[in-house]
Order: sequence, then C-alpha cells, then structure tokens
Amino acid sequence: MTEAATPTTNAPATAAPLRCWSCGGPVASGAVFCATCRAVQPPGDADHFARLGLPRAFALDAAELDRRYFAAQRQLHPDRFATRSPRERAISQSQAVSLNDAYETLKAPLARACYLLKLEGVARTPDQDHTIDDPALLMDQMERREALGEAADGAAVQRIVAAADADARDALAAIARAFARDDLAAAARETTRLRYLEKLIEDARLARARVAPRQAAG
Amino acid sequence: MAYSEKVVEHYEHPRNVGSLDKNDPSVGTGLVGAPACGDVMKLQIKVSADGIIEDAKFKTFGCGSAIASSSLVTEWVKGKSLDEAATIKNTEIAQHLALPPVKIHCSVLAEDAIKAAVADYRAKHDTKAAE
Repeated sequence: MTEAATPTTNAPATAAPLRCWSCGGPVASGAVFCATCRAVQPPGDADHFARLGLPRAFALDAAELDRRYFAAQRQLHPDRFATRSPRERAISQSQAVSLNDAYETLKAPLARACYLLKLEGVARTPDQDHTIDDPALLMDQMERREALGEAADGAAVQRIVAAADADARDALAAIARAFARDDLAAAARETTRLRYLEKLIEDARLARARVAPRQAAG
Repeated sequence: MAYSEKVVEHYEHPRNVGSLDKNDPSVGTGLVGAPACGDVMKLQIKVSADGIIEDAKFKTFGCGSAIASSSLVTEWVKGKSLDEAATIKNTEIAQHLALPPVKIHCSVLAEDAIKAAVADYRAKHDTKAAE
C-alpha cells in the first residue's frame, strides 16, 4: 500500500479516511505532513507511542525515543513555518504541543507506566484521585516518612534516600516484568509503589535542604 | 493556591497528632493513601465499652489540606458513636475547611480513613458479622 493509494470503499476502514485540510488528498493516520502538498496536519488523537513511532510497550529504548523526538521537533520548528499561513503556523504549534506531551509522558518511567495502564483500560491509575488501603505498602511508607521526619543529619537522610532509590529500581524492574507478561494488576500495584517511593525521594530532597545548613554551619 | 484560614489553623496547630496502640482491642485503625499525591493517612479511634469514641489520633504525611482534613475528623469523632462517626461525609469536611475543588480528594481521604478505622474496630469485635 502506498501513501498515494486512493482509499477504496470496500476497505475494512474503522474510520473515514483522513483528508488533508489543505489539498484534500489522503493522509495516513498519524502523519505529520500531507504526502501530496506537504502541509502540516493537525495532531489528531494518536496515542503517545504511535505519535513517536514506537511500539506500545513499557520497555522502551530511551535513545530511540530521543532520536525520534528531536527529529520530529526539528520538522516542527517555528522557523520552518515563519512564511506559512497563520493556520499552518497554528497547526504546527498544536503538533509541537502534542509531541512534547508525548515525549515527556514516555520519557519518565512513572508517567509512562500510568499512561500505559490507562491505554490498557485500567480504571484507576496511580496518577488519578482515588483511595488505596494496601496495608503493607502504606505501613512501609508511614515508617519511612517517620524516619525521614526524625532524621537529624544529612547522613540519616541519605540512608533513607539510598534505600528508596534501590527499592524504586526494584519497582521499575517489577513494572517492566508485569507489563511484559500482561499482568496489569501487578503493573498497577508496582506503579503505585514507585509513585510512593518517588514522592518519598522528593520529600527527602527537601529534608536534606532542611538539615544541610546545620552541617554547613558546623 | 491560598489555603483557607481554617486549613492554616489546623495545619499550624494540628489536633490529636499521634498514635494509639493498634493491637489494643479498644482501638480501631484506618490506614489509607492517595497515590496521586503520595499521601499516607493513619486515623485511629479508641472506643469505650458502650461504643462511644473517647479518643482519636492521626498521623498524616501529605499536603496541608490532607493534614487539616484528618485533624478536623479527629476533633469531630470524639464523643460520637461508631455509627455517627461512620456517617461523616467528605462534603462536610470540605465545606468546613473551605477546600478548593482541587483539594476535595483530601477530604475524601479523611472520610475513607475514619470509615476504615470504624471497620477495623468492628472487625476486631465482630469478626463474623462482617461476612
């Protein structure tokens, strides 16, 4: 099938074939530019993986993600549209916004996991408002938070961060394994654990700022 | 985002911070979390022989609204029966603290925490009735 192929009416199309807003020619789903007239196309509703031409999976080649993102970003650079119509400029900007959104979501493992859970139809992902009552996870977090609150010096904070970092790596590996075997419940559980660990590491950074001046003064 | 005066008041002077012995048969413990914020909330009640909540403690790691919501609930439940405590609605908490829409979930967490504490107490005393 070539890009210029005329869509036939008996094709098993799930949606009406896309048409270029500028020349009316056919446009492949997810194409940034019209193959016929080269006009930039609206971002549409492609998911973040499709937008960056990556397989829909948690495992991801970070270098490949970067390559695809920067290549697409160059194509959408505002300088390239300086002499184009206001409409084309506006469309290129909305493409750039969608592209950045896709990149930022896929780049961060926690955001990628939450996004993938959502795509796979999990109703309550860790980035949405809901209450959990997993006693083991919450008890563990409560103890770590208490230890952080009581940490008197940088070394004590550092020990808490080091443990959380190691556990975050462990959670990340568990998320990858769970997605690889399509175990969404386990993927969601481990993503929630990662969410809590990242929050703890974030708070520990603030705690370090709290104890650091005392050390610097000594 | 500015916190309401009541949130600030509870945040700066939280009521009933602390822990009760979770293994004490007269104590019910609710431990809940909101993963979106990374919040953890523990709310405990001590219940007298005639079913009245005589003490309540909380420990919350979260934002000001989450702390204020749990602090307020510990104040409200003291002197109440278990049934009364279980009917506390997040909307009452949110209204009392004038929580903005983005912080409503903090009041939901506090409602879920007191419900969990009541359920835990009941499970200790009435292991069969829950089935």
